[in-house]
Amino acid sequence: MKSLKLVCFFALSVLSSVATTTIARAGDVVWWAPNWGEERARTLAQKFMAANPGTTVKIEITVSNGLPERVLTALRSGTGPDIIEVQHGWVNGYAQSGLILPLDDTIQDKQDYVPAAIDYVGWNGKLWAIPYRIETHGIIYNKDHFREAGLDPGKPPKTWDELTTAAKALTKNGRYGFGITGGGEVGNTLFRSLPFIWMNGGDIITADMTKAVVNSPEAVKAVEFYTNFYKQGLSPKSTLENDGLALRRLFIAGTVSAYQSGQFDLPAIQKENPNVKLGAMTIPAPAGKQTAAVLGGWSYVVPKSAKNPEEARKFLQFLNTTENQGYYTDTFPARMSSIKLPRFDDPMLKPFAEMLPYGRPVPVHKNWVKIVQAYFDGIQRILLGDQTAKESMDQANEEIQALLK
Amino acid sequence: MRASASIAQSFRRPGLGWVATLLGSAVLVFICLFPFLWMGLSSIKQLNELYTIPPQWWPDHPTLANYYKVLFESRIPRYFLNSIVISVGSTGLALILAVFAANGFARFRFRGQSFWQACILVGQLLPTAAIIVPLFITLKVLGLVNTYWGLILVYMIITLPLSVWMLTSYFRAIPRELDEAAVIDGASRVGILFRIILPLSLPGIAAVLVYSFITTWNEFIFALCFATDSSVKTLPIGLAEFSTEFNTDWGAVMAASMVMTVPIALLFLVFQKFFVGGLTAGATKG
Amino acid sequence: MKSNAGLAFVLPALIVLFMLVAYPVTYTGWLSVTNDQGQFTGLQNFADVLRPRVTMQALWNTLWWVIGSVFFQVLLGVAAALLLNQNFVGRALVRSVTLIPWVIPSIVAATTWAWMFHTEFGIINYMLTSAGALDEPVGWLTRSSTVMPAMIGINVWKLFPFVAIMVLAALQSIPQELYEAARIDGANYWDEVRHITLPQIRPVIMAVTLLLVIWALNAITIIYAVTRGGPANRTLITPIQIFRLAFENVEFNQAAALSVMFFATVMLIVLVYIKTFADQPGES
Repeated sequence: MKSLKLVCFFALSVLSSVATTTIARAGDVVWWAPNWGEERARTLAQKFMAANPGTTVKIEITVSNGLPERVLTALRSGTGPDIIEVQHGWVNGYAQSGLILPLDDTIQDKQDYVPAAIDYVGWNGKLWAIPYRIETHGIIYNKDHFREAGLDPGKPPKTWDELTTAAKALTKNGRYGFGITGGGEVGNTLFRSLPFIWMNGGDIITADMTKAVVNSPEAVKAVEFYTNFYKQGLSPKSTLENDGLALRRLFIAGTVSAYQSGQFDLPAIQKENPNVKLGAMTIPAPAGKQTAAVLGGWSYVVPKSAKNPEEARKFLQFLNTTENQGYYTDTFPARMSSIKLPRFDDPMLKPFAEMLPYGRPVPVHKNWVKIVQAYFDGIQRILLGDQTAKESMDQANEEIQALLK
Repeated sequence: MRASASIAQSFRRPGLGWVATLLGSAVLVFICLFPFLWMGLSSIKQLNELYTIPPQWWPDHPTLANYYKVLFESRIPRYFLNSIVISVGSTGLALILAVFAANGFARFRFRGQSFWQACILVGQLLPTAAIIVPLFITLKVLGLVNTYWGLILVYMIITLPLSVWMLTSYFRAIPRELDEAAVIDGASRVGILFRIILPLSLPGIAAVLVYSFITTWNEFIFALCFATDSSVKTLPIGLAEFSTEFNTDWGAVMAASMVMTVPIALLFLVFQKFFVGGLTAGATKG
Repeated sequence: MKSNAGLAFVLPALIVLFMLVAYPVTYTGWLSVTNDQGQFTGLQNFADVLRPRVTMQALWNTLWWVIGSVFFQVLLGVAAALLLNQNFVGRALVRSVTLIPWVIPSIVAATTWAWMFHTEFGIINYMLTSAGALDEPVGWLTRSSTVMPAMIGINVWKLFPFVAIMVLAALQSIPQELYEAARIDGANYWDEVRHITLPQIRPVIMAVTLLLVIWALNAITIIYAVTRGGPANRTLITPIQIFRLAFENVEFNQAAALSVMFFATVMLIVLVYIKTFADQPGES
C-alpha cells in the first residue's frame, strides 16, 4: 500500500510539472469555433494572421454537446474568450443579462444582411451579434416512393390538403408517408410545427408580447394539422421519441417517405444511402395562403469579459466579408450578396433558398424558452392522447399567459 | 495463510450449489454484457449498417475503420493520458484524506460527530448547476483553469465524500479487540491505523478506489467547462467531439467507448486479488 | 479514545472540502434570495419556483424514480454480490464483466439504451417480436406507462454493479470462524445467509443505500439524454428541473432557490439517517 502511494505521489509531481496552462497574450484573439467548421475556421484564421502580423488568433474548438451550458458558465464567471459562435436564439438571453457587448459599430454593410436575421439579434435598440449563417426548413422526400405511390415526384404537394393526400397514398407496406417529430430537444418540434401556425394566421404570443394566443382557432387548427400526421398513422409509431436526427435515419432506412428538415441533412443522407433519389420541396401552406418557416442559424457574439475586444472586432469584420461569410457557413450566409456565390447554385438547394424570404425570427421575450417548453408539453400531451388539441392548447395558453407578466 | 486455507477447506462450507451458481452467472453476464455487446458490434459496423430496419446483429461488412480513426486520427490517445493523470490524482489524493477521516469517524467518539459526517456528504448533495459557476470563479482566481490540478481538486468534491463515507463503514466492521490487542503491545493510534485497520480493510479500500476512479473517468460537465484545450481535455469530451451539429459518428463513438471501458475492466481483472478478504488471512487466530 | 484525537483525524478532509464547497454554497444561497439585478428579494424566488404545476409533478416523479431505482439496485446488487462471493472457475472474469455497466460512460449507456428501446430501430422490440413474445413492437419510450420504468431499468442496470462491488468487499471481510461455527451447528447455505452474511453486511448495505438515494436525487444524465424529462413531463425529476432553470431558461436565481430547498431536504434525510444508524455496531 505504501509503495503504491509513493508511486502515485511521484507520478503526480512529474506530471503536474508537465501540465500546461493556456496563457493568452495581450495581442491574442480567442475564438470558440464549433468542431464541424474546424478546418474552414483555421483557414480563415491563417489568412487573417497573414494580413495582420501583430495579432494571433487562437481557436478553441467547441462541441455541440453541452455547448449552451458551457457558454453560459463561461460568460457568467467572466472567463469567456473574445468571440463565441452561438445560435441566434441564445443571443437575447445573453444581452438581457448583460453578458455581451453590442456590435452596432462593428457590423459593416448592414443593409446587405437579410432583415430577419438582423431583427433576430437586436434588442433594446442595439445589435448584439453579427449573424453569419441562416437557414430554414424545407421538406425532403423520396422520389422513388412517390413514383411507387402513383404520385409525380416532379410536382410535389403545394397545399395542406395535397400534403395529407400524398402522405396517405405513401403510407403502406411498413412505410410512413410524412414523419413528424415529437421528442428530443424542444427546438425540433418548434421549428416544424410553428410555421404551420404562422401560415394559418396564428401565433404563440402576440407581436407586442402581451397576450398568449396559442389557443386561437387558427393556431389550434394548425396544431391539429401537425399532430394528425401521427394520430392518423402517417407518422411512425416512434414519433414521441424522435427528433430530426431520428427522422433522418428513418428516412435513410426507407421507413419514412418525407419529412421536414434543413439542407444540412442532404449530404448526410447521400453519404449513408447513395441509392435514395432525393427531392426537396418548399413547405405547403393552406390553400390561398403563404408558406412560412422559422429562421435558424448562427451568430458571432463578443463577451463583455473579452480580453481583446478591439482586435476581436477587426477579426469579426474580416470574417463577415461577402466572400468569407459565404465560405464559412454550413448552410446559407446571412448576407444577400454572399448567397450569389457559385457555391449556392446547387439545384437541390433551390427549394431551401426559396424558403429563406419566408423565414421569421422567434420572439425575443425573456421567458421564451419556458414559453416554448409549455407549448411543446402541450404538443406531447396531444400525441400521447391525454388531451385534444383544443384542450391542450387551452392549458398551454394559460401557462404561457402566466409567463408573459 | 496456507494453514488457514487448508483448515477452511476441511470444513467445506456449503455453497449455492453449482447449478444455481452457473445459472446465476449466466443471467448476470447476459444482463451486463447485452448492451455492451451491442456497442461492440456497432463499433465494427460501417455507417450505412448502423441504423437498419429491422436491426441487424452482425454486420455484413465488418470494419476496423472506426478504431483506426479513434486511435490514429483523433485526439483520443492524448485525452486518454489526461484522463489517467486526473483520475489517478484525484483518486489517490481522496484516498489519503479519506483514510484518516474514516479512522476518526469509525474509531472515536467526539462532539458533533454526526454533524461533521453529514457535512462531509455535503459535496455529494449539491446539484451541478448550482455549483459550477462559483467553482469556475474559484479556479479562475487560483489560476487553475485548464490545468491538471484544477480538475483534480474539483473532482475531490465528488470522490472525497463517498470515500470517507464508505471507508467509515468498512473500518467499523473490523473488530475492536484487534485494536485493543495492539494497544497492549504499545502501538499508537496511527500505528493501529496502518498496521491493523488498513491491511484488513483492503477490499474496502479497493472498492473505494474503483468507485473514485470510475466516477472521475466518466465525468463530463466539469471537464467540459474547466478544460479548454487538448492538453487537459478528458475522454468524455473526446467522445462528444465525434458529434458535429447534425451528425454523430456513431461508429467512432462506439469504438471510443470500447477504448474507454475495456482497459478499466481489464485492470479490475488484474487487481482481483485485492478483493480477497483480509480477515481470512488468519489474523484472529490465537 | 480521547475526543480530540478523533477530530484531528477528520480535520484534513473537512478542511479540503470546506475550501472547495464553502464558496459555492454561499454563492447559491445568495443567488436564491436575490434577483438577476442583484437586489435582495427575500423568498420571492422560492414562491416563483413552487408555483408552476410542473414542480409538484417533478417532485412526485422524483419519488418514484428514487424508490424504484434504489430498491432494485440494492436487491440485484446484493444478489450479485452473494453470487460473486462463491468459489467457482472463471469467477474473476464474471466479476470483471459485472463491472462493465458501471464503467461505461453514462451518456453512452443512455444513448445505447435509447437506441435499443427505440420502437423502430430497437433491438429489444426486434428480438421480442421475432421470438413471438410480443405481437407488435412496444413504444417503450413513447407510452406513459412504460417510459419511467424503462428509465428506472437503465438506472438500475447502470448502478447495481456499484452495490455488488461494495457489498462483495464487505462479504470478503466476514471472519471465517463465524461460518465454521455455523457449519458445526449444521446450517445450510440459506441459513448462513440469513443469520450470518446479511447481518454482517448490514452496515455496508445501509451506507450504500444512502448513497444510492443521494445519487438518484442528483441524477440528470440518463433521463436528460433519453427523454429530456418528457414526454409531457412524465419523466421530469427535480434535478432536471433545476438544470433546466439554470441553463435553458437562464434563471439562475430560481435554480438557486430550488437547489437550496433540495439541499435542505436531502441534508435533513442524511442527518436523520446518520443519527439513527450512528450507533450500529459494526462487529459481530
